[in-house]
Amino acid sequence: MLSSDEFQALRLSLQVASLGTLLGLPIALAIGWVLVKSSIRGKVVLDTLVSFPLVLPPVITGYFLLLMLGRNGPIGSFLHDAFGVDLVFTWVAAALAAGLVSLPLMVRAIEVAIAGVDPRLERAARSLGAGPLRTIATVTIPLAYRGILAAALLGFARGLGEFGATIVVAGNIPGQTQTIPLAMFTDLQAGDDGGAVRLVVLSLSLALISLSIHHVLVRRRGLLRRPWATS
Amino acid sequence: MGDVLNLRLRKSYPGFELAVSASFPSGIVAIFGPSGSGKTTLLNCVAGLVSPDEGEISLNGQTLFSTAKKVDLPPERRRIGYMFQDSLLFPHLTVKENIHYGYRLTPPQMRRINPSKLVELLELGPLMDRRPESLSAGERQRVVLARALATSPNLLLLDEPLASLHTGIKGRILRYLKAVDRELAIPMIYVSHSISEVLTLAHKVLILNRGRQVAYDEPRRALSQPAVIPAVDVESLENLFDVEVLEHRPSSGITLARLGETILALPHMGQETGKVISIAIRASDIILASAKPEKISARNILKARIEEIHSLGPRVLVQAHLDQPWLVEITPDALTNLDLREGQDVYLVVKSSSIIILD
Repeated sequence: MLSSDEFQALRLSLQVASLGTLLGLPIALAIGWVLVKSSIRGKVVLDTLVSFPLVLPPVITGYFLLLMLGRNGPIGSFLHDAFGVDLVFTWVAAALAAGLVSLPLMVRAIEVAIAGVDPRLERAARSLGAGPLRTIATVTIPLAYRGILAAALLGFARGLGEFGATIVVAGNIPGQTQTIPLAMFTDLQAGDDGGAVRLVVLSLSLALISLSIHHVLVRRRGLLRRPWATS
Repeated sequence: MGDVLNLRLRKSYPGFELAVSASFPSGIVAIFGPSGSGKTTLLNCVAGLVSPDEGEISLNGQTLFSTAKKVDLPPERRRIGYMFQDSLLFPHLTVKENIHYGYRLTPPQMRRINPSKLVELLELGPLMDRRPESLSAGERQRVVLARALATSPNLLLLDEPLASLHTGIKGRILRYLKAVDRELAIPMIYVSHSISEVLTLAHKVLILNRGRQVAYDEPRRALSQPAVIPAVDVESLENLFDVEVLEHRPSSGITLARLGETILALPHMGQETGKVISIAIRASDIILASAKPEKISARNILKARIEEIHSLGPRVLVQAHLDQPWLVEITPDALTNLDLREGQDVYLVVKSSSIIILD
């Protein structure tokens, strides 16, 4: 069975991916909404910026976070001076890395979900007295919730596998920042093939579970779009 | 009574410009025109879903939009109900939740219409716990009407509410709309491309053609506008009337019904006497006679006066008057042969089986 270090890695992976998704989802919702609905200028710029973590080597994303969160970075120095908090090389930094890396995936999935909501229903809500925010809360999100859940799950699954950005900004500290991919890297470096295989099986199981739930959500949503299948 | 809605606006899209200036009284005003004439754009400007390029819109003295005063109230602050062409009910809510959606958002001191009154008026009781997807097209339109009215709007906009319905239930929705006009006295703007609906429902009609306002008059005079003629779908032209069931004569195969001062013989049916029902008579199913026909099988021979005669290419549309305007379609050959003129007395001959009962 799992050693205590491996069990720690599993717990940390779940913790990191969960917090990363939780932090990333509202941001992804806001960005997704703006990309689909608003007519502001600079949408292309926003779209490109959000896509960077998807196409850049994760190490660069991690380095960017390190620059931001480090003692001399704008966010890091503020947190240190105001609250005495240092995020670098903590599991929270790993969660931020996971959130940032999975953001483009979540934004893409949410864009699809929001674009699937008939804009005329939102106009109907406005004509019935609902303001823009209430319309989002009572019409857009309830009608897109499956897609939003699927986006969160996709982000979670991506966060579980995060390696490159995490090792730069959070290091590889057993029990503190060593998630499953990092533990596996350590096992491989040490020549512990047995440990690596156990972690491969563990990762595969987690990925299979999240992808199955994702599949169910997406497929059901597909069914809803075919009226003849539901009536 | 003064005007409810005053507007003067201009809105252009590539290759299209809408320019309208009109005052709308209370009651039902129709906006009529062919597709692409700007009817829906006009409604969207009034509702606040589209901003005009230039102009003023005011409702009961309150400015909703004004380029001069830099006012553009968002739709949720205009207190205007909108009944869309496709029902657009919220699919994730029940019928009851749909109706209460806008009611709950209406400030309590502005609630003049109670949802329970609407449920009664529009006979929605049995539908309240259903989901929109399980409703028929006619039921959906009734729910969407109730949803819009539950906000106690100062004005109700209707964008071709009958377009998605089959003939049989149109009459019923039209009667509900008349009931809303009568009992709730909410001014309505009714967009339609059916002259039959305009004639039966509206008190006034604004005619649009390619974004231009070509006439604004009583519905019965609408057909004298040359711009209207191309927009009239002669094939489906029908006379829509509400009649009161008077008496059943099963052995004769007819039911007598009253339309104003006129008694009509309808095909025999089971509706209770005293009930008001809607009927449709196609303009092409009516025969016009210049002298009173005798020994004829048709059960309805009605004396009327020709008000207007319009030539529509291979067809002639005669507008005759008898309590209400009747539209009769004849051929140019018949027109010359009978030597028909405006102001002349004629007889309208209608077989009872040509009268379609619309519930």
